[in-house]
Amino acid sequence: MEMPATPNGFRIKITDKVADIVFDLNDEKVNKLTTPVMEEFDGLIKQLAGTDDLELMVLRSGKPGIFIAGADIAEIADITDPVAGAALASKGHRILDRLVALPFPTIAVIDGACLGGGLELALACTYRIATDNPKTSIGLPEVNLGIIPGFGGTQRLPRLIGMPKALSMILSGKPVNGRKAFKLGVVDAVVPAEFATEKIAEFAGYIKSAAGRKAVLVRRNSRPFRRWLTQDNALARLVTANIACRNLMKKTKGCYPAPLKALEVIRRTLGMPLAAGLAVEAREFGELAVTPISKNLINLFYGSEALKKDKGAVIDGKPRQINRVGVLGAGVMGGGIAWNFTKADIPTRLKDLNWEAVGKGYEAAANIYGQLKKLRKYNQREIDIKMHHLSGTTDFSGFGNLDIVVEAIVEDLDIKRKVLAELAEHVPEDTIIASNTSTLPITELAEGLPHPERFIGMHFFNPVNRMPLVEVIPGKETSPETIAAVVALSKRLGKTPIVVQSCPGFLVNRLLLPYLSEAVMLLQEGVSPKDVDRVLTGFGMPMGPFTLLDEVGIDVAHKCAVVLAAAYGERMANATLLECMCEDHHLLGKKGGNGKGFYLHQGKKQVLNPDLPAIVGDWREANNISPRQCSDADILDRCLLTMVNEAVRCLDEGIVADPVHLDMAMIMGIGFPPFRGGLLRYADELGAEHIWTRLYELAEKYGDRFKPCERLQQMTRNQREFYNETVR
Amino acid sequence: MKERIAIIDGIRTPMCKAGGVFKDIQADQLGAWIVTELIARSEIDPALIDELIMGNVGNPTHAMNIARVIALKAGLPQGLPAFTVHRNCGSGNEALTTAAAKIQAGDGDIYIVGGTESMSSMPLLYGPRMTEFFANLVKSKTLSQKLGVISKFRPSFLKPVIGIVQGLTDPVCGLIMGKTAELLAREFHITREEQDRYAVESHKKAAAAIESGRLAEEILPIPVPSCYKAVQEADDGPRDNQSMDALGKLRPYFDRHNGTVTVGNSCPLTDAAAAMLVMSETKAKELGLTPIGFLRGYAYAGLEPQRMGLGPIYSTVKALDRSGMTMSDIELVELNEAFAAQAIANLRAFDSDEFAARYFGRHHKVGAIDPAILNVNGGAIALGHPVGMTGARLVITTLKELHRRNCNVGLATMCIGGGQGGALLLEAA
Repeated sequence: MEMPATPNGFRIKITDKVADIVFDLNDEKVNKLTTPVMEEFDGLIKQLAGTDDLELMVLRSGKPGIFIAGADIAEIADITDPVAGAALASKGHRILDRLVALPFPTIAVIDGACLGGGLELALACTYRIATDNPKTSIGLPEVNLGIIPGFGGTQRLPRLIGMPKALSMILSGKPVNGRKAFKLGVVDAVVPAEFATEKIAEFAGYIKSAAGRKAVLVRRNSRPFRRWLTQDNALARLVTANIACRNLMKKTKGCYPAPLKALEVIRRTLGMPLAAGLAVEAREFGELAVTPISKNLINLFYGSEALKKDKGAVIDGKPRQINRVGVLGAGVMGGGIAWNFTKADIPTRLKDLNWEAVGKGYEAAANIYGQLKKLRKYNQREIDIKMHHLSGTTDFSGFGNLDIVVEAIVEDLDIKRKVLAELAEHVPEDTIIASNTSTLPITELAEGLPHPERFIGMHFFNPVNRMPLVEVIPGKETSPETIAAVVALSKRLGKTPIVVQSCPGFLVNRLLLPYLSEAVMLLQEGVSPKDVDRVLTGFGMPMGPFTLLDEVGIDVAHKCAVVLAAAYGERMANATLLECMCEDHHLLGKKGGNGKGFYLHQGKKQVLNPDLPAIVGDWREANNISPRQCSDADILDRCLLTMVNEAVRCLDEGIVADPVHLDMAMIMGIGFPPFRGGLLRYADELGAEHIWTRLYELAEKYGDRFKPCERLQQMTRNQREFYNETVR
Repeated sequence: MKERIAIIDGIRTPMCKAGGVFKDIQADQLGAWIVTELIARSEIDPALIDELIMGNVGNPTHAMNIARVIALKAGLPQGLPAFTVHRNCGSGNEALTTAAAKIQAGDGDIYIVGGTESMSSMPLLYGPRMTEFFANLVKSKTLSQKLGVISKFRPSFLKPVIGIVQGLTDPVCGLIMGKTAELLAREFHITREEQDRYAVESHKKAAAAIESGRLAEEILPIPVPSCYKAVQEADDGPRDNQSMDALGKLRPYFDRHNGTVTVGNSCPLTDAAAAMLVMSETKAKELGLTPIGFLRGYAYAGLEPQRMGLGPIYSTVKALDRSGMTMSDIELVELNEAFAAQAIANLRAFDSDEFAARYFGRHHKVGAIDPAILNVNGGAIALGHPVGMTGARLVITTLKELHRRNCNVGLATMCIGGGQGGALLLEAA
């Protein structure tokens, strides 16, 4: 017996006492559990509950690669009242309770993405079967959006697989594949995707017998007493929770409430009856859903989805297919960039001045693979094959058929110009030439180059294997085809590209350097680096400005600061102490033989450089600056509002197309805390008026460089925000 | 009209003594680096290549049909067929001559050919008794069966067969290669002193060729795994301070009491790979490619396994006859120096009317080889002889040297374990 599809895409067929339900949400790419969908599902369950003579229900998805991707994020984003949020969760609980209460067994067949609410629905089925399809991805990623599972995940998952394994899944939010899900006990079988139909029938037959059913239950939990003893009793739960809490605090520094709340809920409710536990889950879900952190994370999620679709430029047809690439310069960046190309299985020609230098590039790439091998991402066989994509040279042989060459040589305008001109003689006139420069203006670099429409900036961040951002910087003459090709290539490399118009420092460094310089100004005035770092990490930055300066290299930062000061004038505070440190005292930061900078980096602990007070004291004397106090609030605002002020100028000048691009760039480029939603989101939180007032105060106290820019004044007058509404 | 076989370019890795710099590198890795480089620098569209043929003697079990493994690791399309050839020390050139035959037959136009060898990786093998022991152990199911098998174990089972020794020993005449050189030393009355002197010459020429940068023109520097920091740029066999004194200290290796052949006047075991891009002349013109030379003719000849060292003269006679040429046409010679005794034996045979009469039925000697045109950049005694690769290297080095000297015709020839010789007649472009 077959019924027509319901308005939301459920199709039921009843044959031989088995109800086969296929869910294919109409007019949507993915299956999601919106309120209408849940209500319809509820109706379906009630209908089946009333049907005579049913022995089994099988629930599948009609969308290839997707089971159910989760609840409707838009609905969660719209929650403004914790009570409404709790009600949404409770409604889901009741519907799934009715699913559990069906008088016959139910099997969820998971082929594809099964996340959040989708997994919670599957957990309410009697059995779960997963396929080994590489797209099969099973998890509860709610914490990534600042909430906890709200459809029973915090209750059903720990009761099914035990607290430690459930915590690991829920607190990390990381999904697992079919095979891993089977190992964990989340699913009862993992079957080859191509034989799913036969295997489901086999399983259905298996569970008809009592022995079969018992075997499945035994597999899930072969030693119930032992599990209770080691995991589920109150003391064990407390100990596990303590350890998990400590790890969470270390990772999130308490800035992200959702995983901590999930941990607390699970710890408290595991021993309770299910109904009571579900009530706790609903309440806490409602509370978290209205937090600004959750709203921020959801908006970032939308922002990154939008960025994924962004092609960077409008062109006819598809972007240029990249088959072979070249990298000029086998230093730290060149080696990392070459690694990235080999990882994407693209033949890469790596050139440097001599073979010793080329060897260092190979070494850099091999080291990164070595790290990945330790993390079990690649085995040696796979690494060997990837390293074979590299070929080295000290001349331009092999450059005549390359689609793109990335230049990553020394950061010097004249040298780059010379090398780029030489390169242009050896590559076809339509080969894209991309420079990894961090400070040099793209249009100037392109000067004199034949066919400047193929020249572009492609700025990777250090270290290449861990920083996901690439700034794509067109020059005045760069063609849209070149932009689109480099954007597409960056995505192929696993990076997130953001198109940024050329200006000194581009986007990230243009905002970062003034922030770092301001921190040094604070030091010049007598504030301890430890205090500054404390305030900023308290704000949520992954490391404080002085730690970051030591990471990046004090000389590198100084060089960049000089370029920006020359370009932008007075407002880019030129903290000359930096110059004094790297040039007079040879303090370069983490790199360099002695690992000395603002901190000493020998061994694991980070200790303030004991020579620093004397150096600063001398500098102050030489420059006739007397020390002064600075409150924590001033420290924070001096550093952050400098960035905000500059960011607003960037928006005004059209350096980025969109506030969301700017925020994502700062999150990915310098680790601006995601829970705050981004630099401009934070600015909206403060409000233009507050920022404007504060900047004027700081200008009075500390110098004209703080004067708010024109646009901030306009925004205050017109009561505008950067984000007018939530991006969808 | 027969197609001329154009050799567009060739390149090789440095040749490194076995157990040294390349000891942890497998032959397929060496081959893949070379083929990758060949494809990159020739800028040829991989889709145009018809097949890849590689010579390899060791045939490592982790890379069965090593040519195919090399092709895939070098990033060539999965649709490209590939196979491995084995003619012992002539494998590197067998790859080339096989491709030439296919081009003549119209099977294809464009081939990648070469040879690779990792003599460092030639395995120690379990003997048949130990192998049988393992097999029986796996077959036995019950504890008592297993115990029964174990009780039959004897320590003598553990004695390994040294793969490389076994490989270098002729199974028909029972002589290891070095002993065949001793035979030739006796047949041609070649003294220990003469052999050592020849060896010193080889080292001197090789060292000079390295110093002058001539050899660098055919070598691809290799960043060495697993750190990749050290880059091997040159062959590490040649010693510019090789001397009669140093060589004189060595004891004969293959015949302790009366022998003359030592490790110093023999070629060392070596690891390396080489490859060439070859195509029909028509194709080269079509693609606008300038070859470095042509394969004018070739021949393989057989002789008694115990005198395999004379392979060069036997095969050269055949090749010259086929091409209608004589030794006086040859302006440059690469004659592989498996052993000084073997090389000298050939030189004497080439210069002997009596030898020509006795073995080839002709009145006059085949034609003396002027030492000034022989192995001018050093030979295997200094550089090494990675058995599957040498044939390819000899072709590359001959063609490049012909260009340097502005000469036209060269001969590359080698003795082949098992009792064969190979000779290739090469023409500069």
